[in-house]
Parts: sequence; structure tokens; C-alpha cells
Amino acid sequence: MVSSGTGQPNAKEKKYDRQLRLWGANGQQALEASHICLVNATATGCEVLKNLILPGIGKFTVIDDATIAEVDLGVNFFVDAEGVGLPRAEYTCKYLSELNPDVQGSYINDSLSNLITSDPTFISTHGITAIILCSPLPSHLVHTLQVMNPDLAIFHVYCVGFISSLRIFLPELCIVETHPDSLIDLRLFNPWVGLLSFAKNATRDMNAMSEHQHGHIPYLAILLHYLEKWKEEHGERLPGTYKEKNEFKKLLLTGMRTDVAGGIEENWEEAAAAVLANVKPHEISSGTREVLKDDRCQNLDQDSDNFWIIARGIAEFVASPDQGDGLLPLPGGIPDMKAESQDYVKLQNLYRQKAASDLAQVAQNVSQILVSLNRPETDIPEEDISLWCRNANHVRRIRYRPFIDEWMVDIFHAKAVYSDLKYNPDTLLPIYIALRAYQTFYDEYGHAPGQENGKDDSAELLTHARVYLSKVADMLKLPEDEEFPSTEVLRALDMWCREVTRYSGAELQNIASLTGGVVSQEVLKCVTRQYLPVNNMVVVDGVQSKSAVWEL
Amino acid sequence: MATTGENSRWQHLDKILQRNGPFCDDSFTSGNVEEILGRWKILVIGAGGLGCEILKNLALSGFKDIHVIDMDTIDVSNLNRQFLFRQEDIGKPKAEVAAAFVMKRVKGVKITPYYGAIQDKGENYYMQFNMVVCGLDSVEARRWINAILVDMVDMNNPESLKPLIDGGTEGFKGQSRVILPTISSCYECSLDMLTPPTAVPLCTLASIPRQPAHCIEWASILEWPRVMGEDKKLDTDNPEHIQWLYEQALERAKEFNITGVTYSMTQGVVKNIIPAIASTNAIIAASCCNEAFKIATNANPYLNNYMMYTGNDGVYTYTFEHERKPDCPVCGNQATTFEAKGDWTLQEFIDRLKEKPDVQIKRPTLSTQRKKLYYQGPPQLQEQTRPNLDKKLRELITSGEEVGITDPGLPFSLRLNVVFD
Repeated sequence: MVSSGTGQPNAKEKKYDRQLRLWGANGQQALEASHICLVNATATGCEVLKNLILPGIGKFTVIDDATIAEVDLGVNFFVDAEGVGLPRAEYTCKYLSELNPDVQGSYINDSLSNLITSDPTFISTHGITAIILCSPLPSHLVHTLQVMNPDLAIFHVYCVGFISSLRIFLPELCIVETHPDSLIDLRLFNPWVGLLSFAKNATRDMNAMSEHQHGHIPYLAILLHYLEKWKEEHGERLPGTYKEKNEFKKLLLTGMRTDVAGGIEENWEEAAAAVLANVKPHEISSGTREVLKDDRCQNLDQDSDNFWIIARGIAEFVASPDQGDGLLPLPGGIPDMKAESQDYVKLQNLYRQKAASDLAQVAQNVSQILVSLNRPETDIPEEDISLWCRNANHVRRIRYRPFIDEWMVDIFHAKAVYSDLKYNPDTLLPIYIALRAYQTFYDEYGHAPGQENGKDDSAELLTHARVYLSKVADMLKLPEDEEFPSTEVLRALDMWCREVTRYSGAELQNIASLTGGVVSQEVLKCVTRQYLPVNNMVVVDGVQSKSAVWEL
Repeated sequence: MATTGENSRWQHLDKILQRNGPFCDDSFTSGNVEEILGRWKILVIGAGGLGCEILKNLALSGFKDIHVIDMDTIDVSNLNRQFLFRQEDIGKPKAEVAAAFVMKRVKGVKITPYYGAIQDKGENYYMQFNMVVCGLDSVEARRWINAILVDMVDMNNPESLKPLIDGGTEGFKGQSRVILPTISSCYECSLDMLTPPTAVPLCTLASIPRQPAHCIEWASILEWPRVMGEDKKLDTDNPEHIQWLYEQALERAKEFNITGVTYSMTQGVVKNIIPAIASTNAIIAASCCNEAFKIATNANPYLNNYMMYTGNDGVYTYTFEHERKPDCPVCGNQATTFEAKGDWTLQEFIDRLKEKPDVQIKRPTLSTQRKKLYYQGPPQLQEQTRPNLDKKLRELITSGEEVGITDPGLPFSLRLNVVFD
């Protein structure tokens, strides 16, 4: 979809207006190229798909071998009385398709386990981008699917009673547009010549200025002016500590006129308010550093992804004394501030020009890299390089742990669980552990633990939970005398095992819908490669109206 | 507990409602869906992004008698998330289409739509419900319903206390909360948590624009009335009007060398468009309905009283108890103190009031026990009180005097003790 930008919106832009304001035309394009597959058309599963079909994914496929039963009508909005006895995949596909005529829906009236055997390459032959697995499913099936398709994005969902969990696996994800609160980087400690001379001009003979002039000096110029002054008084050192920044704030406020209408000058107050956030040295974030020193950035080849080629262009920019000399390319935006229109625009242009020249340097680096890789030097659109430069300090590379490492309790997993249980008094891990025990129970009996026909499975569930925790303890070789898990944790575990058993596998529409919302947000972030998806586990607690995330 | 036929539909809900859980308190009495939820009558305000979800969720939570109010008709830009509406529904009332859809899909639920404003109805109407769930996009409407529900509470009649559950979203973020009028923090108590709409001073718009938004606001606030006159009202849903504003704003931006004015931005600024997606609506609406379900069934403890959700960076929720404000103008019993300078003119005083995040008024009428300070209407009174706008506060009131403030948007009056410092 090409955005018409300045003119009136086309039909598609009108329909998707409220979301295009979040992820733009490039995000929408990525969404429309995706094919999302759902295994088990439970209430939760259908809710996930609903929230993905509405904003316009390309295709979806429902896989399910169940037929619709009376009980589905009380929890799933995408079935009705006429469908009872019919295949659930086909029927939900029909109602889901009605949500958006731009999306192409299909179904397979079969189980995942049959499909894995009868058509083991169905993921690649159908071009499936991501798969959503709704519990209950035997755990070996989930692991088999992952082993057979190591690059498949998998969203594994449990939703029972008032609780739910989502475990995400994605092939390594590199995100340029993480949408931080602000992309502004004023570079007050690294001003360039043009910026300094602007500040000097704007603050010359301040005492002689008229009230209007003095009240319209852009606060950036005020900050730069007083930073120079501070340096003179402090042997070229800049304010570094919190205390120094507060002193700096006081220093600059001595310049504010108070004998004016209202007793304050807005631009000077803006300058003071900007000190804590902006008076600091330029620092390359740990996320960006990780990307720049990644092997794939250092050792490119012809098939390298554009992300890594641009990253290399940026790394060279940072390293070169003639280019960034330790700094990232400037993003180029400035915040609004009280100023005369022409001064503001002048200042804005200074930042924009600097950003443009940094971008040109990076683009040149990128062309040279492309040539050295025997690729056409214009192989990467300048737009992509520009986006990277604007977001350079916020890019992220996320690696996901495969399901099996978590399930088998490796050392990483054991450490994560141990420390949260031990040091987080509000830990929600007992919910995760109860759901793990639920899976173990399901693997053994083929049905959910419950309290039916006079039987109560909660004690058995608790046993599974304790076996799991002793695996964690063994892995960590905890000393004999260490109390792990603590009595509080055990008490919480016991309660959650009883609560989970109370549900007997029941799904509630509210929690299904809430979970459908959470899962779909994560799928959207993964497909559009924007914002930051969870790595790798999130639990929703509808009893206490809370949530928690861990890397497990 | 074998259930058959029609009732086997609610097996999932019954499993949970027929058994006690470890987190339930003594108020929980087990039973089946019909027994527990059959008597509940619930009002949903808003049939938009949140409202569509809320109606579906309540119907599938076993509520049988639901009413819904919405004054809007369906627009094409709703279709990316308001899943009960289709292309052919554009132009029809949201409340009616949504009610009909859910009743068709979920047999046995009765949903009564009202196509109109909440202000059309009075206390008698609101008194018939056991609970109110709000999915609104306007601060003004929230303040109105909140004030009504607080006002309706009669200490001698427990039925008069209607829990109010409120949700809101923006992009990947949202919040849901439970308000027990007069018992827990009300909507008005938390008004200062909202960032007030950044009002750009008129002088910036008129003489020193710096941002594309300044040019757009100039076109809609100053240029439209100047060129079109008082009679032709700006209709932000009319593409021709937006086009005109866009062209004016573009022209002005060129004059000041400002870049970035687009049609889409023009629309966004003048309509105050908030980005919205189905996912976030689903999360917040479901969270609200989960609380409604817990309040109605006691199947687990309900939220006390505020949950914030943000999905921008991973998933993060923050659940906390928002405290009541003792000087809340709606549910508090102390008058608010407002510090002013005796040298301020009444106009200046009004301007400061508008800036205050916990006041947020647009067209205030002010008076004291002794005199009328400024009236927005009727015309004679406005005429009569207008000269006061230029008078200094100390000429009009004494320090510590109580000033009453009413605003057409609010169903209550603010009482401020104005103290000169």
C-alpha cells in the first residue's frame, strides 16, 4: 500500500486510519504480507485471530479437528447454534472471514498431530509466517513442531479460568522502529560549530534585550550558553552528577528575568525543566552496542540482511574519526520550544542538516559495503538507511530460547525461576508453575485436571509442581539446608493448584478475550517488526488483575 | 451436576460458579449462571471500540439484561476494530447495530439499545441498573456519568450504589478501573492524572507558529471563523472542510518555512484522533468485564481499583489503589483551596483555572454567595457581568471567599476557596 501522504486518503487509508497512525504504511505492508495460522479454534484462539484479521493480515488458516459442541456456544463468539455438530475449523473460519473482506481465510479440518505426519512441510508449503498454538496440546507435539520448523514464529497459549500464559518463540528479531517515548537527542555535550555559533548569536547581549526578545530565546541556546559558562568556571568539565545538574539549573535560572508580567519567563523555565533529561553526554545504548558488535554485523556476506549491512555502515561511522568519532548519526529532531518562528526554524534546520550529512556519510559507507559484497550499490533504499539512522540508539536484537530448553529445565531457566521466587515478594511464578503442572497432567491423562465426578486432582497437580521445583534445585545444586521453595511459595503454589483444578479446563470469555488481545498485540509487534515484543513468557492473572513477564 | 440441552451451553461458567476457590472470600455463594446472574441488569455506555467488546463479553459471561447507550453512527474508520460493524452498516447508529448483532449470535440475551446522549437520561433511568460499564472516548462524558452516579448514592439504600467500571485506550496502552461511588476514588478524584490537552497559546498560533500543528490549529481556530463567518460551523467529519483547513495550514506553513503539514495530520489535529487497535480494546474491555463478572458473582476478588496496561515495550501492567481526594469536587466533602493573586483580573483567573489539570473547564460561569462574577448566559447576564473580566480579583472577592463554578459540560458545580497569596 502506497501512502498518498499529502493528499486525501484512499479507501484503505480511511479504513485503517487509526492503526496507520501507530505503525505507518511500512508496518501495514508487513502485516498484509503475513499468513497467520491458528491451531485449535478455542474462544482464545478465535479472539487472537479476530484482532489480527480486523487490522488486515494477509491470510489466516484455522487448524482444528473438533466439531462444535453445545458448550462452545457459551464461550466462543465465532460459533452459534446452527453450527453444532459441524467442523469447528470450517465454521469459525466462515465467521472470522466476515470481519474483513481484505483478508483471505482458509481452514483444515484436522488435528495438528495428523498434519505433522501427513504433511510435514505444511508450514513452508502454505507460507505460514507465525503459528498460534492454543492449549491443550500434548507437549511433545509442540516440541516436534519446533524441531521440524526451527525458524517458525510460535505463540503458545494457555487460557484456563481466570488465568492465562503466552510463551513466544521467534527466530532472532531485529527491530529498527522500537517506538521509544522520544527519539530526540540534543547532543548538548557534543555541539558542532554551526550550533554553537547559533547559540552565541541568540544569547549575545542578553541584558540589553527587550522583554520580548529575552522571553523568546530558544531554550536550547540558553542551555548551550550556560554550559559554556559552566565549563569556564569548572576547568572545562561539564555538569555530570545529579547534584551538579541541579547547581547548573540554579545557575541558568539566575539569568531569568522576574520583573516581567507573571514573574517568570516561559523559555527559561523550559530550559531548567530540560536539564535533567538532556544535559548529559551522548551514550550508545546497550541494545545498540550489542547490535554493532554482533558477528553478523562484523562478518557480512552476500546474503546478509539489510539490517546488518546498515548496522555495519553505522558501526563504521561511529568508529571513524572523520565521521561520527564515537557518536551515532544524529536523529535530527528537536522538541517544540518557545521561540520566534524564524529562530525555531533556523535551529530545526541546523539539526536537520547535521542529521542529513550524517545520513549521507552512513549511506556512502553502506554503498561501499554493498559493492564489496558484489551487490549493486543502490540495493538498499535510502529511506531504510534514514530510518535506521533516526532510530540508531534504539534498535534492538532479540534472541529467543527454544521451548525445549525451558521444558527440560536448563541452567538458565533454573536461575531465572530461582531468583524470581526468592527475591520477588509479589512473584506470579506460582501461576506459571501451576500451568506447567497442568501440562504434565494433561500429557499423562489426555484431559485437564479438575474436580469432577467426586475426584479432586489438585494434590496431584501440587506433586507435579514440587517435582519441577526439585529439578530447579538440582540444576542449581542448592545446599541441603537451603529452604527452597520457601513456605510462602509453597502456600501460593498450593492455592494456585487448587484454583486451576477448580476450573476443570473451563475457558472464560473475558479471560479468553483479554488473552486474545495480549497475544495479538505481540503477533502484531513481531509481524510489523515495530515496538518490542515480550521475550519470552507472559502470565495474565485475572484473579488479582495483574501480569508478569520473564525470560524462561 | 449433569446439564443437558440449552443449559449445557454454560458448562464452562458453571464449573467455576459451582465451586469455591482458594481466593474467594465469604461473600461467594455457589450456584449456576442463571441463579447468580439472572437478576443483574447492566448498562454499557459506548458501543464503539470498547463497547462492541464489552457487549460480546457480557453476553458470553451470562448476563441476560443489558442496555447500551451510544450517540454515534458508524464510520468507515471504525471498521478496523469495531468488529460488530460491516461496510454496509456505515451511517447506522452504533448502539442499534451492535445490540442486534450480539443478540443474533448469542441466543437468550436481551440487549436494549438507546441511540442518544447519556445526558438525555436522568437519575430515574440510571437507578434501574445494578452496574455501569463505560467504554468512552470523552473525558466530559465520563465526568458526567461519574458525577450522576456519585450523586445518586443514598446511604440508606444500598441498591443506590452502582459500581462504575471504566476503560480507556490509546495505541498499545490502556487502563481499567473500578469505582464504587462515594466509597473508592471516583473519576473526578483522578482527573489530574490525565495530561490536559496541550493548549497552545493563541498568540503562538496567531503570530509565532513553529510546528505543523500550530498552522493547523491556526486554520481551524482563527482562520475558519474569520473567513466563513459565525454561521458556517466547522464540521470535522466533512472531508471538504478538512481539505480547506489543510490547504490553509499548508499555505501558512510555507510562509513560515515550517514543514510536515499533511492531510492526515490535519485530520488528526482537528478531530483529536487517538490511535486505536482491536487488540488493546480487547484487553481493556475484557479486563473491565472480568471485574464486572467478579463483582456480580464474587467468584474471585475484584480490582481495587486501577490497572494500567502498556504493550509498547513487552507487556507491563501496574495495578494499584488510587486514593480518594478529600477535596474532590464530586465525592469529597471539603472545598478545594485555590491560590490566586489579588492582582489577577477575573479573566486571568479563569485562564489559570482552565490550565489546572484537576479542573479542566471550558466555559465556566462564576459566582459567589454575594454576587454574580461572570455568566456565560443568558445574553443579558453575560453583558452585565462581562466588565468584571477586566477587574482585579481583590475588587470582586475577599481572600478565602468561596467561588462557585459551573460549566455546561459538568453536572455538578465546583466550589473553590480562593485565597490570595
